[in-house]
Amino acid sequence: MNEPSISSKIPIIKLGHYLLVPIQVDMTDYMVADLQTSVLAAIDRTGAKGVLIDISVLEMFDSFIGRTLSDIARMAAVMDAAVVIVGMQPAVAITLVELGLEMTGIDYALNIERGMTLLNQRLRETDT
Amino acid sequence: MIAVDHEEILERLPLRAEIDIVHIRQLVRLRGKEYGMGLVDQTRITTAASEILRNMYVHADGGEATISAVTVQGRRGLLVTCRDQGPGIPDVQLAMQDGYSTADSLGCGLPGAVRLVDRLELDSTVGQGTTVQLLKYLP
Amino acid sequence: MDSARKASQVNERVTIKNLRERLDRLEDVLASAAAMKLDVRVPVTEDDELASTEEAINVLLEDFAALLAERRQAELELQEKLQTIQRQQDAINELSTPVIKVWDGLLVLPIIGTLDSQRTLRMMELLLEQIVATGSRIAILDITGVPVVDTMVANHLIKTVTAAGLMGAECILSGISPTIAQTIVHLGIDLTGIRTKSSMMEAMRYAIRANGQKIVSVKPLAEAIGIEESPTDE
Repeated sequence: MNEPSISSKIPIIKLGHYLLVPIQVDMTDYMVADLQTSVLAAIDRTGAKGVLIDISVLEMFDSFIGRTLSDIARMAAVMDAAVVIVGMQPAVAITLVELGLEMTGIDYALNIERGMTLLNQRLRETDT
Repeated sequence: MIAVDHEEILERLPLRAEIDIVHIRQLVRLRGKEYGMGLVDQTRITTAASEILRNMYVHADGGEATISAVTVQGRRGLLVTCRDQGPGIPDVQLAMQDGYSTADSLGCGLPGAVRLVDRLELDSTVGQGTTVQLLKYLP
Repeated sequence: MDSARKASQVNERVTIKNLRERLDRLEDVLASAAAMKLDVRVPVTEDDELASTEEAINVLLEDFAALLAERRQAELELQEKLQTIQRQQDAINELSTPVIKVWDGLLVLPIIGTLDSQRTLRMMELLLEQIVATGSRIAILDITGVPVVDTMVANHLIKTVTAAGLMGAECILSGISPTIAQTIVHLGIDLTGIRTKSSMMEAMRYAIRANGQKIVSVKPLAEAIGIEESPTDE
């Protein structure tokens, strides 16, 4: 049930009602622009209510990546989809906090499974 | 700039394309690891370098980065020096302020980078260029 | 000095045997001593005026060597004591930032003492490691044992809470005394977004519920059904 993705580098996988975006490489400007377009297009096409961004492979997270993900979250929110970042490594979390980066509109979970549970929760909350 | 007792240049790398940011910071991490830095410290110096390198790429159209093993006042450390010939920073005080509380900033990672390293020195002349030094002591 | 003796000394001719040789030896010994070689002594072979000077110098060297040995010993002892203090400090640090898994999905950190950057970092590393290892969703940071909460300590706590949040875990601050509550407000510390409970018990009550768990008292239930509680002495 994989949706074909426009971006050749970062795949976008359909997981039930949600989309899974496993970030596997260090992203560049080109990939970022590409990814944003792809994710929004996928949300539109599939009607996905949530996006799980898996960063478990990322060993580093700077303000550029932060900005990118914040933007994706904001854009997804406009399309009524929630964004959850999963799999942050401890060293990355510590560095992020010290860097002072605050990203709004994003939830965090330990792994994909927990991320889906969180998204289910959010969906239930907004449905009432 | 940071006064060193001794400096051994390990890498001298040009920053021309955006992908160079990634290459350079990967080498920073590699060297940090080689010299015994713990994982969190490796991540810190790599992130700080990434911020400065991206600034250099975005504002100054590229430049050069040097990674050296240094001794400063008897302590061993890893020094990352980023030099560009860009427009320079007109108001360093302002640039060092934490004006940005979200990721929607102009990408000026200076105040963040300062918190991640043991020493950060900056030398900038408007119209000529900027040099930023990042020092992280080794265990 | 006795004037008679003094007069006789002025008039008397003093004969010192081997003067030049003995003066050379004196010089050598003093030079060695100056170079910190204190085991040298002046050989006293004659019994004349110079001999008493030679002996005096030997006594001086003896005293000096003893003093130096004492000092070296004291230094060694001090070094040892400092090392012991450091070891004890390390042990205290290790002991005072334990991360305890008290139940499925729940970690407790009883923080004792003051939080500096070093300890905070250690605590954060430990906490995040445990979050990954145990998959815990909630961590209770109990600050009953933290004597002073100032802006610095508060920032360290906030950093820890934020970092845990990035890994999908919620932190609850418990053990906030009325004094600390006052300080926090007076200093204008902003703890919004961080759940606080006055006691560990309240924090655990919340955490268990939040984890979708429940603590049930067995005895009343058994009585209600009419079952006798069997003694567990197998």
